[in-house]
Amino acid sequence: MSSVTLENISKSFGDFNAVSGVDLRVSEGEFVTLLGPSGCGKTTTLRMVAGLEQNTGGRISIGSDVVSDAARGLFVPSERRQLGMVFQSYAIWPHLTVFENVAYPLRVRRRPSAEIGERVSKALLLVEMEGFAQRPAPALSGGQQQRVAIARALVSEPKVLLLDEPLSNLDAKLRLQMGEEFRAIQKRLGMTTIYVTHDQSEAMALSDRVVVMERGKIQQIGAPEEIYRFPTKRTVAAFFGTPNLLDAEVEGCERLDGRRVRLDVVGKGWRGSCEAADEARPGEVVTVMVRPEDTRIVMADSGAGEQELKWSGHIAHTTYRGAIRSVVVQTENGRLTVDAAASCNYAIGDNVNVVAHRRAAWAIRKDEALI
Amino acid sequence: MPVRASTWRRSRPPILRGPAIAVIALVVILGFLSVYPLSMLLYGSLHSTPPGMAGTFNLDGYQEVMTRQNLITLLNTVGISLAKTIPSVVIAVVLAWILARTDTPFRGTLEVLITLPFFIPPILTAMAWGMLGNPQVGLLNQLFQWATGSSSAPINVYSYGGVVWHMMQYSVPFLFLLIVDAFRAMDPSLEEAARMCGAARWRTFRTITLQLMLPALTGAAILSFIRGIENFESPLFFGSPAGIRVITTDIYDSINQRSPPQYQYATAASFVIMVLLFLIVLLQWKLLRGRSFTTVTGKGYSPGVIKLGKWRWATFAFCVSFFFLTVVLPIGQLFIGSFFKFFGFYQWDMLTLDHYRAVFGSSEFWRGLGNTMYLGLAGASLTMVLGGVVAYVSVRTKWRGRLLIDAMAWLPWMMPGIVLGVGFLWGFALLPHAIPIYGTIWALLLAYISLGTPLSVRVMSSSYAQLSYDLEECSRVHGANWLQTMWRVVIALAWPSFAIGWVLIFFGIMRELSASVLLYSVGSEVLSVVLLKLWANGNAEQVSVIGLIMMALVLIFRWVQLKIMKSQLGTLRA
Ligand SMILES: Nc1ncnc2c1ncn2[C@@H]1O[C@H](COP(=O)(O)OP(=O)(O)OP(=O)(O)O)[C@@H](O)[C@H]1O
Ligand SMILES: [Mg+2]
Repeated sequence: MSSVTLENISKSFGDFNAVSGVDLRVSEGEFVTLLGPSGCGKTTTLRMVAGLEQNTGGRISIGSDVVSDAARGLFVPSERRQLGMVFQSYAIWPHLTVFENVAYPLRVRRRPSAEIGERVSKALLLVEMEGFAQRPAPALSGGQQQRVAIARALVSEPKVLLLDEPLSNLDAKLRLQMGEEFRAIQKRLGMTTIYVTHDQSEAMALSDRVVVMERGKIQQIGAPEEIYRFPTKRTVAAFFGTPNLLDAEVEGCERLDGRRVRLDVVGKGWRGSCEAADEARPGEVVTVMVRPEDTRIVMADSGAGEQELKWSGHIAHTTYRGAIRSVVVQTENGRLTVDAAASCNYAIGDNVNVVAHRRAAWAIRKDEALI
Repeated sequence: MPVRASTWRRSRPPILRGPAIAVIALVVILGFLSVYPLSMLLYGSLHSTPPGMAGTFNLDGYQEVMTRQNLITLLNTVGISLAKTIPSVVIAVVLAWILARTDTPFRGTLEVLITLPFFIPPILTAMAWGMLGNPQVGLLNQLFQWATGSSSAPINVYSYGGVVWHMMQYSVPFLFLLIVDAFRAMDPSLEEAARMCGAARWRTFRTITLQLMLPALTGAAILSFIRGIENFESPLFFGSPAGIRVITTDIYDSINQRSPPQYQYATAASFVIMVLLFLIVLLQWKLLRGRSFTTVTGKGYSPGVIKLGKWRWATFAFCVSFFFLTVVLPIGQLFIGSFFKFFGFYQWDMLTLDHYRAVFGSSEFWRGLGNTMYLGLAGASLTMVLGGVVAYVSVRTKWRGRLLIDAMAWLPWMMPGIVLGVGFLWGFALLPHAIPIYGTIWALLLAYISLGTPLSVRVMSSSYAQLSYDLEECSRVHGANWLQTMWRVVIALAWPSFAIGWVLIFFGIMRELSASVLLYSVGSEVLSVVLLKLWANGNAEQVSVIGLIMMALVLIFRWVQLKIMKSQLGTLRA
């Protein structure tokens, strides 16, 4: 196992910067996910680590070896980086059997055939495909192909495992199951893993750390919970779910601990306090994020508690979603989405109040939000 | 852990060092195969004397080309090609529709049968039809006279009609092969959508099916038209005896039938035909630009098959009669002709095996067969290797110079065999004596490679285009270097196309006549040249024997090719 270090990596195609100034260190055994909207440069970043794309700036190291350094013109080709990779299309070679597909990395390294047999069986066992060794590769279902691709990526005990949206071709149920299985294998082997996806829930469920990217730049790096609850940028906040984002002006500021401050804010028709990562000057405008699942609907005449924020408004419309009911409330400060119990029903036009605990309100600085 | 400087060689990846060498090598090879003969044509057309002799530069050649007689030749060429293209397109569309979209019985077998004429060397059918449709002793006329009792001979293949009819036997299956997949692969939902909008079946065919096919049809028709202009065998056999001249036979005659040979005229005329072809190709680009064949998606659709009821036997009969006319009749003629003492006199007491004995005892036949096989095997292999490399460079890499290579490999596409033959004739004659290609079998080999390269590049390009890049990159990431990846993944996956292309090129070499007849010399005759010589000497009986042997070869190779195609479909689409 090896760590992976990206230092100020960039890649341009002509004058288009697909990736710019990416800094990232993946520790040994860590599972890091690159997450972001389509076209943000995730695949390009992963391919630069794989050596399938040459970075136009910066330096990449695997373990203690520099594998690519744009400044010195150093570039180690893919095949000498000792990696395993799972492609989005799986790239199962159609002319080979399952066994030969998995054996390939060992064959090109000229391992003795006894060893190949043993290691391939072990890899197939790991992904529960031992019964399919002699099948021609095209005669497999999507999920089975994916297992073969994982076995192939693992068989040569690579330094790092790279995966580019490996689950995106599977149906929702299989996706969940395969994701968990894969995470279990990864933990058992302690593989350093870089995983690309644009599915936020997949990223949350699998990763040790998530890297959120947008337009070729890293927006935020952190543990799933941290990214979800304490985004430092508006784009990151907006990327997960459909949070309510409200503009507000800072009135007061008080440090809570090393990592958090409490801000007193006032918005259009509401005031209260919320938390933030950095201090803010009074008068500064911030964006306050309140997630729908952290809000509740109460009767119009009932007040809010000491530590709660409150917005008054009327029901604009509701959508039944099975587990919950999304209720949209029109307030003076715009529309707020609230996740209510599925069994509640509201008539459109009813006057109601929306409340949220102040710890569930997270402020993002405006200057950063602009990026 | 401190980041230590890499112990790996500090070098660019091999993929960045190799290309320059590879590109230069390809440019040199392709330059010799296509640009060199082309520039020799230009040189020859401006030079007053034959290759290798002192002379002056002038425009006499072009002046001689600009005559009234040649205007008629030009009109003949274009007119004959048009006259064969239009009915061929109609018949090919009908056949494609029958075999791709109706429930006609035995469609699989029929498809193999009606495409067979495309693979038979035209010289064989030309000679067979020369016997069948001979106005004096032709079998068809004899049958007609026997059946009706009249003494008139209604069929004469030595006429405009004969030339057109012979060309059509090739252009119909050629067009069919080009368009049938467009019919077959069409997304049925496009048609179904029209039906749902209330269009009746015929209206759907007119407004949707045919419209969607139009780019494919236009492209195929223009290609067929070009082939018609390049055609040599049909006008040579059926036009020249009747005084019908086209450009290709005109070039041939000016070198082979006049003494001294009119080299300057021939090269100037060659240049004119190339300009003509170039204009047509430009027109084609203009017409087809931006119109894609999006109907062909490669997914395994099962297009809506139309139930014809009783009519399916009519469509069946249509296909069978096409096969009968284009394959059974000429082969039957060769078969009968090979057993009778004299061509045209079919009586029981004239049966003989003498011709077989004569052919098998003739050293000329064995030499021709040996040369054809040798050139076929070596030529097809070399052409496909070259095509495979060129296609790889132009489709799969981003190397600088790949467009140039692609264009150079495509150049012979615009040169009819006879024109390329003239170009090489000059080219080889002007080479230094240390490179004695002129008059050897190497001359033929190089000409065949040049003629086959555009096709081999096409076959291999479309094969590579189907391989996703992931398959290659995945191999690199998992430790295989470039060569290992080529061998274990790219070649392993592309070889069925390679084999199919190989057989196509082999067919092309076996049938090639126009360049061969200019470039052969004593000792390096190929079978088609042997046949032509025998025919010119009036030995139709031995021609029949050799023709049958060539037919057997054609059938064997076609069978092998179909086998490979089937197994390829079996493994890759399973
Ligand atoms: N070879 C290339 N030439 C030019 N532009 C490219 C090339 N490869 C990628 N790009 C551009 O770089 C940007 C990043 O592409 P990339 O494939 O990394 O996106 P991604 O984050 O993986 O998106 P997705 O989720 O859709 O896969 C895109 O705008 C893409 O158009
Ligand atoms: Mg991607």
